Amino acid sequence: MFDLMYNTIFFASYGNVYGLSNIAISSFDVLLAYIVTIFVSIIFSLILRIPLLPSKPYRYSFDVSAIYPTPIIAAGVFSIFLVLNYTFMYNGIVLAIIIGILSALFVKYLFDFVFPKPLDGDEGEDI
Amino acid sequence: MNEVIGIIIAAILCWLNFVIVDTYFGLPEQPGVKGARIIGENVEKRGGDIAGGFFQGNIVCSPDASAGTLIASIGYLLLGIPGGIIAAFFVFIGNRLCADPGYAGTVGSLTATIIIFICSFAGFTPEMFIVGMVIAILTIQGIDHKRASILLGKIAEKFNRHA
Repeated sequence: MFDLMYNTIFFASYGNVYGLSNIAISSFDVLLAYIVTIFVSIIFSLILRIPLLPSKPYRYSFDVSAIYPTPIIAAGVFSIFLVLNYTFMYNGIVLAIIIGILSALFVKYLFDFVFPKPLDGDEGEDI
Repeated sequence: MNEVIGIIIAAILCWLNFVIVDTYFGLPEQPGVKGARIIGENVEKRGGDIAGGFFQGNIVCSPDASAGTLIASIGYLLLGIPGGIIAAFFVFIGNRLCADPGYAGTVGSLTATIIIFICSFAGFTPEMFIVGMVIAILTIQGIDHKRASILLGKIAEKFNRHA
C-alpha cells in the first residue's frame, strides 16, 4: 500500500532544487546567502593575506589560495547548515558571514595541519 | 521522460562532463601518485596510450571528476542543489587525503550539479544520472582498457595535455 522508498525518491527527484531537505527560507534568500558566504570568505582570506591565486603551475599546486579552497569549504559547510534547516537570523545572512570568516581562518591557520602536503611532490610516497 | 532514453542521454552527458573536466585539469599529463604511474605503464605495455593510461590510473587512485559527478548525482537526489555543493566539499576532502590538489574533483561535481539542475527542467531525474555515470565509468575502466586509453589519448592531444 505504501511504497515508501518509491515515493521518497520520486518526490525527492521531481525536478526540484531542495530534494529531501526541509529548507524554510526562499530560494532567492538561499542564492543570496551563498553569494554572501563566497564573497565574505574570499575577502576575509585576502585580509588575512592568503594569496589570491595558487602558485604556478596552477593545475598541480597544493598551495591554498583565496579563490580555490576557501569558497568551496565555506559553501560546503553552509550547505550542511542549510539542509539541516538551521539558518539563524536574517534569512541566513548572518550565518553566511560567520561561516565565511571561520573558513578563511581555517584555511589560514589550520589547513596545513589538517591536510599536510605530500612529502615528495609529484610522486607520492615510495612503495 | 522514458527512463531508458533518459539514462542513455544522461550517460552521454556524464561522460562528456567528466572526460572534459579531467582532461582540462591535466589528468593525462602526469600521474599524481605512484600507483597511477604503474597503471599507466601497464596499459602502455599492452598496446594502449600512455596518456590514457595515466588518465585511467589517476581516476583509480583519487576521486576526480568521475567520482565527483557520481557523488554530486547522489547528493542532488538526496538534498537538492545544496547536496551537490556538499558533494564538492567532500570530494575536496577526499582529494587532499589522496595527495591530489583536487581541482578536477570539485569543479567536476559543481558542473555536474549545474548540468543536473538544468536537465531537471527537461524531465531528467538524478537517478538517471547515477546510472548514467556508472555506465560512463564502465566504458572507460571496464570494457577495454587498450581502446579506451587510445581514445583518451586522442582527446588529450586535442586539449594539448598529452604526456
